[in-house]
Formats: sequence, structure tokens, C-alpha cells
Amino acid sequence: MSDLTQTETPPQPFANRALDPKTLATVALVGLLLVLPFGAGGYLIYSLSLCFANAIGVLSVSVLVRYGGEVSIGHSFFVALGAYAVAILEKQAGVGFFVGLPVAALAGLVGGLVFAYPSRRLSGIYLAVSTMALALALPEILVHSERFTGGFEGLYVALDPLAGLPKAPQRYYLALALLVLVCLALARLRKSPQGLALLMARAHPRAAEAFGITRGWARISVFALSATLASMSGAMVAVASSAVSPNSFTLWSAIFLLVGSVVSLNGLTLVPALVGGAFLTLVPNYLAGAGDWVPVLYGAVLLGVTLAVNSASDLRRILTRGGRP
Amino acid sequence: MTAIENRSVPQRLRAENLRLSFGAVQVLKDVSVDLEPGRITGLIGPNGAGKTSLFNCLTGLYRAQLGRIAFGGVPLETLPPHRRAALGISRSFQHMALCPDLTVLENVMVGLTLERRSGWANAFLPLPSGTREDAMARRKALAALESLGITAVAEILPAELPPGTLRLVEIARAMAGNPKALLLDEPAAGLNAVETRDLMRALQRLIRPDLVVVVVEHDMDLIMQLCDRIYVLSFGQIIAHGTPAEVRADPEVVRIYLGGDDD
Repeated sequence: MSDLTQTETPPQPFANRALDPKTLATVALVGLLLVLPFGAGGYLIYSLSLCFANAIGVLSVSVLVRYGGEVSIGHSFFVALGAYAVAILEKQAGVGFFVGLPVAALAGLVGGLVFAYPSRRLSGIYLAVSTMALALALPEILVHSERFTGGFEGLYVALDPLAGLPKAPQRYYLALALLVLVCLALARLRKSPQGLALLMARAHPRAAEAFGITRGWARISVFALSATLASMSGAMVAVASSAVSPNSFTLWSAIFLLVGSVVSLNGLTLVPALVGGAFLTLVPNYLAGAGDWVPVLYGAVLLGVTLAVNSASDLRRILTRGGRP
Repeated sequence: MTAIENRSVPQRLRAENLRLSFGAVQVLKDVSVDLEPGRITGLIGPNGAGKTSLFNCLTGLYRAQLGRIAFGGVPLETLPPHRRAALGISRSFQHMALCPDLTVLENVMVGLTLERRSGWANAFLPLPSGTREDAMARRKALAALESLGITAVAEILPAELPPGTLRLVEIARAMAGNPKALLLDEPAAGLNAVETRDLMRALQRLIRPDLVVVVVEHDMDLIMQLCDRIYVLSFGQIIAHGTPAEVRADPEVVRIYLGGDDD
């Protein structure tokens, strides 16, 4: 036992992280995205701003999957909550994104809590279906409260977050900054007591109770957190696309958020988030010429990813065990 | 070791006349146990005797229909598991309940959840108070791993470790929060002879004058060598209790363990 009890050299907090190739690659990618607007066309910059905003939405679904073990097909509701918070604040109070974003986050948090509390005992397909009810009800609510939401037409979001600076680059950089900050915050969550507690509650809810982690707390927290992120994504989507309308927040948007999360393998770091965001934003934009084939191509990619991931774990097992069962 | 000095008067964990049934099946029939601090109490009995049910009544996963449970005079019957945990009752699980996504050290840190005060702001932002608390929790978790001699596996995921080590990790997690009562549900299940011996040594090192330790086990040798007192359960009733020597000499125990069709 003596070899086991020997304390290793004290861990050096940043020594490993700086040399980690994954971290280096992410930093390089952020660097590339930072200089991209100087060489790229306006349409790409616009699409990428939306992609970053949607990537946060994908992360919100991935948080629910990773930390809660649950699936939502209604996150468009919370995205819309954030988007309309920004748009309505601009129209009614004339305030811009920097007031709108915190209000949107708060709206998402409250909305998430209000939904999560009564549904804290639901899980699996039942929770998914009840979130779907949110997504289905949403367009009707938006159309009927026309006085605030502008009905079918929706609302414009015209105020520049940073007055006086060119429109396209500031949206791009704001969306990128928000996405990077969300990724950093999520990386920290993973190491935090709350993050550990949520993962424990997901893996063994009854054992978690023995350590003071109640199931209700875990389920409500993770849903509220996810809804808050979704609303922040919505706030950014509103600014990046300059408009909000019921068309952008249908059941399909909710399903695509989930698909984006699946395609990104529910990853909670920058690269998976970008893959998910791109799947929501860039693919449809650049495939627009394919017309009716778009859903088919989506389906094909989704199938491909799902199959590849599932067979990948099998393949790895076969390879590492040298083919033995 | 300040935590040990802060301890109040040693407390005993007592259950009186517990009765538990699932439908028509009586699992526990008027079971009373008195678990003293400073010694290891064993709980043995054939399969289905109600050992784990008694355990679950003590930790709050089951609610006994009748009977009283008290820890240091505080009645526990109506408290849910997390409230009992807050009183210092900690346990390990028969089926290992480590989180596969967390490293060994992080799993042990879960055992400190009740001590942690940092709020959600700390969960997302690198605030100094949260960072300090994290460092303290890591130190405590490492100390728990060290007390069981498994510091070397701190950064490894559970899936890569043998069952013997995982048991020790579970016990380290249960010990990390400096509990006043430690309930171990079949800690030697699935372990080989060497692992069982290591486990026994580790458990013997855990004895403190203020800590109630209860071990549910099938392994008679382990129980006889490890425990100071033993309760024998059979068909939901305590049929014998006393020192290992007394229990071994009890004719009823001999009949159940040696004379019957049980192997």
C-alpha cells in the first residue's frame, strides 16, 4: 500500500492546461474567428453572428442533456422569451442590448423555474412532451398578444448595442464574446460543487440524496439554468437578425435546437457548440438552393452522426480489446 | 484534524421496534439495535433477512411503518435522507454508486456537498471565495483518499479502476464530510481475498471514539475479525447479538449458518 499512499507532486493549476492541445486548438480557433471579419464577406459575417447566437441555444439544450439527463423539444419557448424581451424593451422603453440581455436572462431564469417546479417529477418522454406543449403554445401566444409582440409581423430590433460603431462587426464580436463567455462559465460549472452535485444526482439520484443533494433541487436547477442560457441565446439572436417574429420560434426551431445538440454530441465546449450552431444556421442558409431537399439532407446528416457515434464506441471497444467480446 | 476536536459528545444511533412491510411481506419485525460510537458493529444474516432494509430505514430511503429511530437523541423517523445526512449519517452502497463522469477525487468531493457554502455565482465566475473553498474541498477529499491509502488514483475515472479500489473510493466519499455515523452496505461484495484484506485494514484505521460504524456483510470471516459487536438478522428478526465469540457460540446462529441448507 505504501506506493499508493505516497502523495504525488502538488498539482500545478495551469501547467497542464496551457500545454493541452485541445485548449491550444480552441484558442487558435477563437483567434481565427477574431480576425475573420477583416477578410470575409458581409453575408458570412452575418451568418456567423447568427451561428454564434444559436450555438448558445444549442449549449442550453446540451446542458439539460448532460447535467439533467433530460431532453427538451420546447426550448424555442425560452429562446423566444429572451428575443422578445430585447425587442419589447427596445420598443417600449427604448433601451438597447446591454439592458435587454440581463432582463432576457432573468426572464429565462424565471420562466425556467416556473416551468420546472410543477414538472420536477417528470422525466424522459413525459418531460419532453410537456416542453413540446410550450413550443406549440408559443406562436399562438405571440400572435394573440399583438399589442406587445407585434403579432405576425413581429418587431424590429434596430438599436445598435454599441452606438456609433459599424453594425455588422459589432454584432459579430458581441455574439462571439457572449458565446466564449458562456463556454468559459460552463467549463467552470463542471468543476464547481453545483456541477459535481448535478452530475451525481443524474448518475445515482438515490445515492446523491445520501450526500444532501435532493432530486427536486437538481432537476429544477438544471432546467432553470438551461432556460436562462436559451433566453440569452434568444437575446443575441434578436440583435444578430435585427428582428423577431413568431416564424422564428416554432416547434421546428425547438427540434432543430435538439438536433444541433445531438450533432454536437451534447458537447459543452466551443467547438461542439459551433458545430451545433452551424448546423442550425449555416447549413440551411447555404443549402437554401437545394429547396425541398433541405429536410432530407438534414435527416441524412442526423442519421449519419447518430450511427457514426454509436458505432464509434463499438469500434473503439473492438479495437481496444483486440476483437475479444 | 480540527474537525475531530470540534466533535461534541459521542452519539449513538438507536432503532427501537422497527416494523417494515411491503404489502403482505413483513421485512422487519420489531427490530431493535443500539449502535455505539467508537466501535464497529456488524450486521449479518442470510440473504433476504432484511439487512439492507434495516439500513435503508436508518438512512431514510425507507420509512418504517412502526418504531423509533434516534441519533444522539434526535428522532429521525420523519426525516428524509438528505436531512439525516446533514446530521452526520453517511453511507456507502451495495451496488457501487460512483458517478462515471467524475474523477475519483471529484466523486469524493461530492461527499462534501453539505459543507459547501459557495453559491451559483461561484459556479460560473472565478470569484476568490469559491476558488478558496474549492481548494479546501480538494484538500479534504485528498485527505479522505489518503486515510484509505488511495491518493494515487485521485485523477482517474471510476471505469478504469478495479472493484476493490472503487469500494475504498465509496468509503472515502462517505468519510470525507467527517460523519458521525458511517453505514457500509456490503463493502466486501465482489472483492477478492487480497482486496478484502486491504479493505479490512482500511476500515480498522477509520475507528474513532466518536464515530458509529456499521457494516452489513455476508463475509463471516471479515465480520468476525473486524467487528466489536454483531447483530444477527434472520427473517426480519434479530435472533442474536453480542461479541463475535458470543455470536459464534449461539446455537440459533450455528443452526442458520452451519446446520441449515445454507452453504
